[in-house]
Amino acid sequence: MLEINNQFTFMKRRLETEVIKSFFKGTLVEDVDKIPVVIIPKDRVPNRCCIYKERAMLRYRIMAMMGIDIERFDDEMKPLSAYVKEVLEKDQPAAPMLTTISTGCYGCPPEQYRVTDQCRGCFARPCTANCPRDAIDFTTGKAHINTDRCVRCGKCKEVCPYTAIIHIPVPCEAACPVGCVKKNEKGYVEIDHKHCISCGRCASSCPFGAIVERSGLFPVLKRLASDQPVVAMIAPAIEGQFPGTLAQIVAALLKVGFSRVVEVSRGAEVTSINEAKELEERMAKGEWMTTSCCSAYLEIGNKLLPYMRGRRSDAKTPMAYTGEIVRKENPGAFSVFIGPCFAKKIEAARDPNVDGVITFSELAAIFMAKDIDVREMQPADLGDDKTFSDCRGFAVSNGVISSVMRRYHGPEPKVMDLNGVDKKVYTLMKVWEKRKPDADIIEVMCCEGGCIGGPGCIVKPQVALRLRGGNKAATPVKSMTK
Amino acid sequence: MQKKKVDVKICVGTACFVQGGADLLLYNDFLDPEIVERCEIEGSSCLDVCKHVAAGENDKPPYVSIDGKVYGNVTQDRFIKLLSEAVNA
Repeated sequence: MLEINNQFTFMKRRLETEVIKSFFKGTLVEDVDKIPVVIIPKDRVPNRCCIYKERAMLRYRIMAMMGIDIERFDDEMKPLSAYVKEVLEKDQPAAPMLTTISTGCYGCPPEQYRVTDQCRGCFARPCTANCPRDAIDFTTGKAHINTDRCVRCGKCKEVCPYTAIIHIPVPCEAACPVGCVKKNEKGYVEIDHKHCISCGRCASSCPFGAIVERSGLFPVLKRLASDQPVVAMIAPAIEGQFPGTLAQIVAALLKVGFSRVVEVSRGAEVTSINEAKELEERMAKGEWMTTSCCSAYLEIGNKLLPYMRGRRSDAKTPMAYTGEIVRKENPGAFSVFIGPCFAKKIEAARDPNVDGVITFSELAAIFMAKDIDVREMQPADLGDDKTFSDCRGFAVSNGVISSVMRRYHGPEPKVMDLNGVDKKVYTLMKVWEKRKPDADIIEVMCCEGGCIGGPGCIVKPQVALRLRGGNKAATPVKSMTK
Repeated sequence: MQKKKVDVKICVGTACFVQGGADLLLYNDFLDPEIVERCEIEGSSCLDVCKHVAAGENDKPPYVSIDGKVYGNVTQDRFIKLLSEAVNA
């Protein structure tokens, strides 16, 4: 996956901030077609082939921000302002979560290993000796890989003493755990939406930004600008994503215009209690089970491995329980889940109690557009969090299991964490259908490190961990005023 | 004679923080302890530069102020370089 600090992220934040600013000013319809030109001025040294392509890409990115399915509804004759009018009138459907910008796709060559000029055609030739498919020949005096025979295992690269063999990956294909990102016959990226679990790995991997999420930002912005009360349901991972404490983040959200802020950790408490109970029952029956709070993992069961549906716990996700609480306590309010997750949007679309989903990085753009500095906020009152404060750990790998175990009273179960679902872990899951895993309860988190490694996050997981409460390093710098 | 400590302010305004400034807060992990010892490092509210300057190569978040002079586009590597220069000046 791409390092989180990169030109693409910075461009995305800048663009989102500009669009949101203009939205709140009430001039988006007039401004929107100018924004790509304002951000990419004439004298800029382009990061793509030319400034015109950069502007075109920004146009697509604005469309994705508005939730438009670029694959199906891209009409080059239509100005952005026309799209804005449509979106302001009617909310876009949630699925599919991801969409591709084929103009932006570089059309990377197929994944391969290649021998470079550094090969000296040495005597020992460990590459040939270790190749399981006999795919390397030396007819020209130097190593040559026969692509028809090569299975891309990478052994030759590992053993070459001159590091003469390089791996040429296709980042999006390599990132997809379930193998549904492929090239079409033209060589450009295509997502098999029928099998996509919306984990967002491909979008965070493409160095050209050709895979984007269809944002749920606009339905939320519209409600914030209206008289309807909007309740923010903040995922446990939010702590550490902004400068300042959780209480200051809550205060900043209230300043944005949310009428109330509810921690999803409250729902996580219900999830843990129910999962602990279920674990006890299943242990008695000698059955193994998995946690069920990761939306992308739920999609694996829904779309790819039907047997998993019987294995995952019957407990609803923390978001679902929190949605129930909010619906009961604030009827008539528009409920928004704010999290690090793309797949939550798919889950929310099926949940009548969750009306909108935005990511942390979109929230950051809202803060910047409204000139709100989290660190300057007077901390808000977090209320009585005694019973669920430990559930804030749901955001970090191993945190869900810990919360469940704290509420569990049966015989000691064997525990396993799946910290990040990649191709290998997915293969492992397939095996479990026939061969029972060596655990009674398995915590599944599709993102590495847990939700704090999610595609909608702002800071790297290691930074987030340091800034989260409970940890001494939560305030690594002394606070000061100007 | 003990030299005066270098005055370092890392901007942790929202804009700087979300564009790489957060990484600088881990300075204890990547800076030479000797350098840390000779600096007075603080987090600062928005230094107010992002709103006024044109975005050039070195003129974008995250910003850091070292002895009153503001530097832009400060990555971890650049931070190390800037501080060792300041300390040895």
